[in-house]
Amino acid sequence: MLSDLVRHHVRDAQGHTARLGDLAVDLGAAEYPVVMRLLVPGDGGAPRALPCPATLDPAQGLVVEALDAAMPLDADALAALVLLRRDVQDALLLDLAQERAVRANDLVLAQRGAGLALVGADVSATAVLRRLSHGLLRTHGPGSLLDWREVEFLRGTPGAVAAGRAYHRRVTRLHPSQIARLADAVPYLHAAELLALLADPLAADVLESMLPERQVQVIAELTPPQATGILAEMAPDAAADLLGRLAIADAAHLLETLPPERALPIQDLLRFPPDTAGGIMTNAMVYAPVDRTVGDVIAYIRDELAHPDFVYFVYLVDDPATRRLCGVVTLRELLLADHATPIEQVMTADLQVVGPLEPADAVARRIADYGLNALPVVAADGSLLGIVTVDAAMVQILPVAWRDRLPRVFS
Amino acid sequence: MASWREGVAPRGQGVRLSIRGRTLALRGLRRPRRGLFWLLAIVGPGLVAANAGNDAGGIATYAQVGAKYGYDLLWMLLLISFSLAIVQEMAARLGVATGRGLLDLVRERFGIGWALFAVGVVLLANGGVTISEFVGIAAALELFGVSRFLSVPLAAVALWWLVVKGDYRRVEKVFLAMTLVFFAYPVAAVLARPDWAEVGRHTLIPTVRLDPDYLLLFVATIGTTITPYMQLFQQSATVERGVARRYYSDERWDAYIGAVFGNVVAAFIIIATAATLHVAGQTEITTAAEAAQALAPAAGPYAQVLFAVGLLGASLLAAGVLPLATAYSVSEAFGFRKGVNLDYRRAPIFIGLFTALLVLGAAVALLPGLPVFGLLVAIQALNGMLLPVILIFMLRLINDRRLMGDLANGPLYNVLAWATAVVLIVLVALMLGNMALDALGIDLFGAG
Repeated sequence: MLSDLVRHHVRDAQGHTARLGDLAVDLGAAEYPVVMRLLVPGDGGAPRALPCPATLDPAQGLVVEALDAAMPLDADALAALVLLRRDVQDALLLDLAQERAVRANDLVLAQRGAGLALVGADVSATAVLRRLSHGLLRTHGPGSLLDWREVEFLRGTPGAVAAGRAYHRRVTRLHPSQIARLADAVPYLHAAELLALLADPLAADVLESMLPERQVQVIAELTPPQATGILAEMAPDAAADLLGRLAIADAAHLLETLPPERALPIQDLLRFPPDTAGGIMTNAMVYAPVDRTVGDVIAYIRDELAHPDFVYFVYLVDDPATRRLCGVVTLRELLLADHATPIEQVMTADLQVVGPLEPADAVARRIADYGLNALPVVAADGSLLGIVTVDAAMVQILPVAWRDRLPRVFS
Repeated sequence: MASWREGVAPRGQGVRLSIRGRTLALRGLRRPRRGLFWLLAIVGPGLVAANAGNDAGGIATYAQVGAKYGYDLLWMLLLISFSLAIVQEMAARLGVATGRGLLDLVRERFGIGWALFAVGVVLLANGGVTISEFVGIAAALELFGVSRFLSVPLAAVALWWLVVKGDYRRVEKVFLAMTLVFFAYPVAAVLARPDWAEVGRHTLIPTVRLDPDYLLLFVATIGTTITPYMQLFQQSATVERGVARRYYSDERWDAYIGAVFGNVVAAFIIIATAATLHVAGQTEITTAAEAAQALAPAAGPYAQVLFAVGLLGASLLAAGVLPLATAYSVSEAFGFRKGVNLDYRRAPIFIGLFTALLVLGAAVALLPGLPVFGLLVAIQALNGMLLPVILIFMLRLINDRRLMGDLANGPLYNVLAWATAVVLIVLVALMLGNMALDALGIDLFGAG
């Protein structure tokens, strides 16, 4: 245990002793971080570093080759290192097996070959008591030791990812909703750091499921390239909501730097005030020309179906340029119908629609009252602007505490 | 260019932006609010924290000050407003820059020992104050003839429901609405018809007396105006509010406005009692209810009703804020999940602790024969011990550039903050020293 170790002095073969200041680890090593250096106090307070081969004697502490081989460290080198007592002890760790954030109340070191490795953390409350009592209380619950192979260590500085610091990146193998839960359980700087570690599509999924205030906090902590990359992978309605919460200058800058094909749908959504149908709709719906057969329509939308967003309805429009809404057909109907049938005969032509400036609450209630899955939003000339899906409607009506428990059906 | 896009032209103003050479009117973007709307959007934790300090105990102290010394101590309140504003703003800034509460940071930087000390004091002191809040609720409603066995449990249940079943935004709004009752005091003060020229003079020109009672009341007033839980709550609530670091410059006004408003209310309480009780020669007041009753002959029944309403609102607010602040702090120190937005399943310790504090506070308040005064003195001593610790830790944390980034203290702010801290620490030391000597039976100042 680290807390036990620091109570003993470091000794060398010649019998010299020194207080153990800290231990520097290399997070990039395979399974368990290897202790690279021992820090001992130097003259004038600046620490000196020893390379670590060391042997761990449980009764007497660390034994090294020669204490006078210690070299002084400058402040920059010191800041770049990951030190166990300064940075890791008492820091937040992500326990990936149990999907929670815990504090490393104590750290477990073990002999690995010629040196030491960080093999685990003690996250129990009794570890705190042990530290406070300077080792008088000896308690070891079996379930309280967290194997370091299940740990993702976050520094709490989002800039560290862009600066190229070492991370395990084990968190990337979790499912997006698991990562989102972890991101919720840590302070926002750690959440931003976590997001920066993920690939853009995964990060976009996680960001979309965060609370609105948290999204703003986190996106502001990422570098512009990181922010743009994630925003480009988000669904347009989620991205528009997020941009609507930023200061105008920040939103404008992001819209400028986004690729045009991603920025355009977001801009279209941002034309409308937030508390209207236009403000809560999405424009990532699937539509096809109405003057085709069922088989043609299926072929037409094949590319859209490859997109990860859920598709249940296909909207039929007169022309992709004017986009006047003619009807809607469900995927089920498409699959059941004969491929040669004109789509006009299969679709439902008489559908409820709503204007873009209708108040959002009224629209949400209409969706709830009529049991609709989605309500198309059309302009005065009948052109299809977007759809208000049932989950967007629920978010509008339900209290905040319920919102993050809804399944995201249409997004 | 698809023609459907051109056809869409919503009426009304939008933010006009030029993106890639095209001008767009985007109504979905946030136009910065101005004026009163801006103010209403900004205020939150600061206003709640500062006004929770104007609770039953605070009102009693201010009423005492006004009754005994008239307007003499108003100058001190002016100075304290600056100190409180500085300290509260630092707490808010720490919360925004780190996204964590104060005891969380203390634990990580200064060790679990200090965090445990703070948690212990916070639990005891805030627990005690919660009891006194429910006593205040009971007293206020008894003035209207409602039995305490009805009012106290109802109040406890209402507060529990609000916090546990609500989300942070709604709780903040309700707490803010409760602060409206504090407008009762300026009205009561005006109804008491003070000599405003006198008031102005005493606010701007210090009156220093070497009378030991004066000094004691001076120090007690400071102790009641700057209590550690205010800084803890400011930071924790600002964290839960979820303010982005980039947008902090607006948010700091919440802390400033809250501190100033809280002290302005205190000033009006002093003016109200000074203009009536002090002038009438009634200089000994010990409870807020006494103050409310005593106002009646001097300023008519309306002043009494207003005072009582103010007392009820203040006690309710504090009875909600203090258990919440305690639950935040304890959860932060030990790393438990916390937040008004969470439910019992996801934050069992936070919700459980909040509930337990409410229940305990209400239950003990209903016990007969409670030594309220002794309780308040003990609480003041505990808070006095904690305040220097909190201030010094805050100052050290807020100067740590690795932690704060560009939100760390600038040199001018540091000078003001350290000066405030030193003065407060000296005064608290005086108060504690005097309490200790009192307890030992030694009467250094001859206060009798």
